[in-house]
Amino acid sequence: MDVTHETLVETAKTWGLFYLIGFSICVLVYTFWPANRERFDRAKRDILDKDDRPWT
Amino acid sequence: MGQLTTRERDVAAAILIVLAIIGIAMAVAGRADPLGVHGAIVLLYSMALMYLIMSTSFGPAPDPSRISRYYDDPIKVGVWFTLFWAIFGMFIGVWAAAQLAWPSLNFDTAWASFGRIRPAHTTGVIFGFGGNALIATSFHVVQRTSRARLADQVSPWFVLFGYNLFCILAVTGYFMGVTQSKEYAEAEWYADLWLVIVWVTYFVLYIRTLARRREPHIYVANWYYMAFIVVVAILHIVNNLTVPVSLGHAKSYTIWAGVQDSMVQWWYGHNAVAFFLTAGFLAMLYYYLPKRAERPIFSYRLSILSFWGITFFYMWAGSHHLHYTALPHWVQNLGMTFSVMLLVPSWASAGNALLTLNGAWHKVRDDATLRFIMMAAFFYGLSTFEGSFLAVRPVNSLSHYTDWTVGHVHAGALGWVALITYGSLYTLVPAIWKRERMYSAALVEVHFWLAFAGTLIYVFAMWNSGVIQGLMWRTYTEEGTLSYSFVDSLVAMYPYYIARAFGGLLFLIGAVVATYNIWMTVRGAPVVSGERHDDLPLAAPVPEGAATSPAE
Amino acid sequence: MRELLHRKLERTAIGFVLAIIVAASVGGIVEIAPLFTIDETVEEAEDMRLYTPLELAGRNIYIREGCYACHSQMIRTLRDEVERYGPFSLAVESKYDHPMLWGSKRTGPDLARVGGKYSDFWHVAHLTNPRDVVPESNMPAYAWLARTPLRLDDLGSHLQAQRSVGVPYTDEMIENAARDAFGQAVPDSEQASGVTERYGEETQVSAFDGVTTRVTEMDALVAYLQVLGRLTKAAYQNTAAPEQPPNPND
Repeated sequence: MDVTHETLVETAKTWGLFYLIGFSICVLVYTFWPANRERFDRAKRDILDKDDRPWT
Repeated sequence: MGQLTTRERDVAAAILIVLAIIGIAMAVAGRADPLGVHGAIVLLYSMALMYLIMSTSFGPAPDPSRISRYYDDPIKVGVWFTLFWAIFGMFIGVWAAAQLAWPSLNFDTAWASFGRIRPAHTTGVIFGFGGNALIATSFHVVQRTSRARLADQVSPWFVLFGYNLFCILAVTGYFMGVTQSKEYAEAEWYADLWLVIVWVTYFVLYIRTLARRREPHIYVANWYYMAFIVVVAILHIVNNLTVPVSLGHAKSYTIWAGVQDSMVQWWYGHNAVAFFLTAGFLAMLYYYLPKRAERPIFSYRLSILSFWGITFFYMWAGSHHLHYTALPHWVQNLGMTFSVMLLVPSWASAGNALLTLNGAWHKVRDDATLRFIMMAAFFYGLSTFEGSFLAVRPVNSLSHYTDWTVGHVHAGALGWVALITYGSLYTLVPAIWKRERMYSAALVEVHFWLAFAGTLIYVFAMWNSGVIQGLMWRTYTEEGTLSYSFVDSLVAMYPYYIARAFGGLLFLIGAVVATYNIWMTVRGAPVVSGERHDDLPLAAPVPEGAATSPAE
Repeated sequence: MRELLHRKLERTAIGFVLAIIVAASVGGIVEIAPLFTIDETVEEAEDMRLYTPLELAGRNIYIREGCYACHSQMIRTLRDEVERYGPFSLAVESKYDHPMLWGSKRTGPDLARVGGKYSDFWHVAHLTNPRDVVPESNMPAYAWLARTPLRLDDLGSHLQAQRSVGVPYTDEMIENAARDAFGQAVPDSEQASGVTERYGEETQVSAFDGVTTRVTEMDALVAYLQVLGRLTKAAYQNTAAPEQPPNPND
């Protein structure tokens, strides 16, 4: 198969966009998946609760 | 290094012997070349470290309970490296700035001329100061957020000292004229190869430490550190593919040519900004900001979204460094589009940081350390906006090749990177040296105002000079000829070059104050009494009788 | 299902690393891949010459001294740049440049077409002390270049390395690299004729630094500066009009 410059440019312009959209959807699903909420909340607070506090 | 067992010392010694042999080989093969000098430096460096190991090898065996504590010794050494490179890199920067106003300041020597010390400045601050700060803080954050000790005893030292050997080879090379001329990747092939080894070790150590955590979720700061480690490795390898003239030559020729090389170079250059100077420092932001403010981050979900946004968008944006050049038009437009889109995740991060502080502004007022972090987030928002703006083609036609770019870079480097680093250091230092507080809160305050004033003076000087320069170059007379010669525009720059050097000097003085303050903290500030039972790792095997509180 | 997948990704951390690589690298690949076939779009230039060994050595001195930090070699497609510096730069003109030296900052003027603009003598005076010829200049002085003899013995291996990254130097060129470098800087010598034979009639043979008894780094750097923009005439044949800079009054 002969890969020309034109083909590559076209791939970049089309599949690049699909990839962008698909990727964004995955990230959004992960972020707002209800079951993840609890883990995120725990992560958010854990670093404050269980570790040494700053000395001011 | 008091925590190393005899066996671990043997491993370290073996590594150093191999390194010394490499040094000798380089010195012999490159005896007619700067490579030989670097061989000697490698040899001396490994001998010095060998002496350090030997001189303590007959001390008492390490305390077995050390395994149940965090491994903070490498972090402490990393902090000193950070402070050293900050002063070195910023001093060279001020010197280079002064040379632009007073060109005779190179004292007619080759090694001190502008073209050679300029990369010494950029490498000194980016890789020396920034890189050591990233390594030191990442060792701290990964242990605390995973509640686990570093996974290995020797490799943290290897990473730290190996990385600094890279920095030394790079910077001494520039003084001798050894450079690839690729901006922000000037170090030659052998230093680059060495960095790959160091970086892989760093990666393995980081992953292994994360694997020791109990909590299934990885805290978001570690995501940023991991993106920093992984992507910098990819960028570094691709951009530095070269063929050396011979094994006895420091000089090499990159495999990329012309337009391809320009794209690879700025793909690297722009993503070095993204993953070295942004991702890693955002990791600091997401850990040290909540810690210092004693408030959880405003929105954890927002931090995840901006993480993937930054990881994804940045890679496309590099070509905005090449507007109106021989690079194909569509690549330029792609770069411009993604640069503008990049503003969304960038401002999400900056906004997230500032909203975290909402409701705690009295702390920002009273605590200069928190103010460092707050101001860093502010400058991050400012310079990412400016970055997207400058990436728009018509704006770029004016700003490119001028001091405006330099101003933009320093709004990011001084305002964002350096301020967040010092904010993190002022939080980190008392924590790992078990001090109640910094030696002097007043000196932190002094440092803050020096740094802030220095940044403002610098950035405003460069904005002014850049815009003036850009406009003078394109101004036409009524007859349709160019109004100004190039020299006219240069003459107009001198006042700003002097102002810029002054702003940089203020920032440098601030760095010296910080170093003094940290030095005195380590030497003298009151020690926290008793062991903190909440500052122990969980995953490690706990010796009989040691008091720890297991998770849940 | 997705949930399970994510948990697994995070649990192992390695999966997470892969996700980062996918997110980060695909963008770069998609954008850069077409540039590997860019040869198809780069303009043809039949008359494109190679750097002579002396010019290549000069280029390496240009790199060594960090000249690229203040001088660009890329004239953009904007009217004011074309009028100030000459026809805008074409991709073909840097096709043998390992690495490219387009630069990113103009503390000094662009040098893409500086070749032939000034005399050898002017360049030597300017490099020795820029303020002797341009009183307002803030460029460092490079007086030591004229005092430092050029290293000739390893030029062959430089050409060899260049060939291995794709620059079409012939065996004969590699063999005669040191002779050619000497000959180009010493016009009366017997080595001088070989240079034009191998690198083309357009090659400038000259006592660049004014001294014919030895070849210095000054010779090499001036030879390089004098060839900038003159390896091909393609840019002068290009008829495309430059873009107007955006006019704020529009």
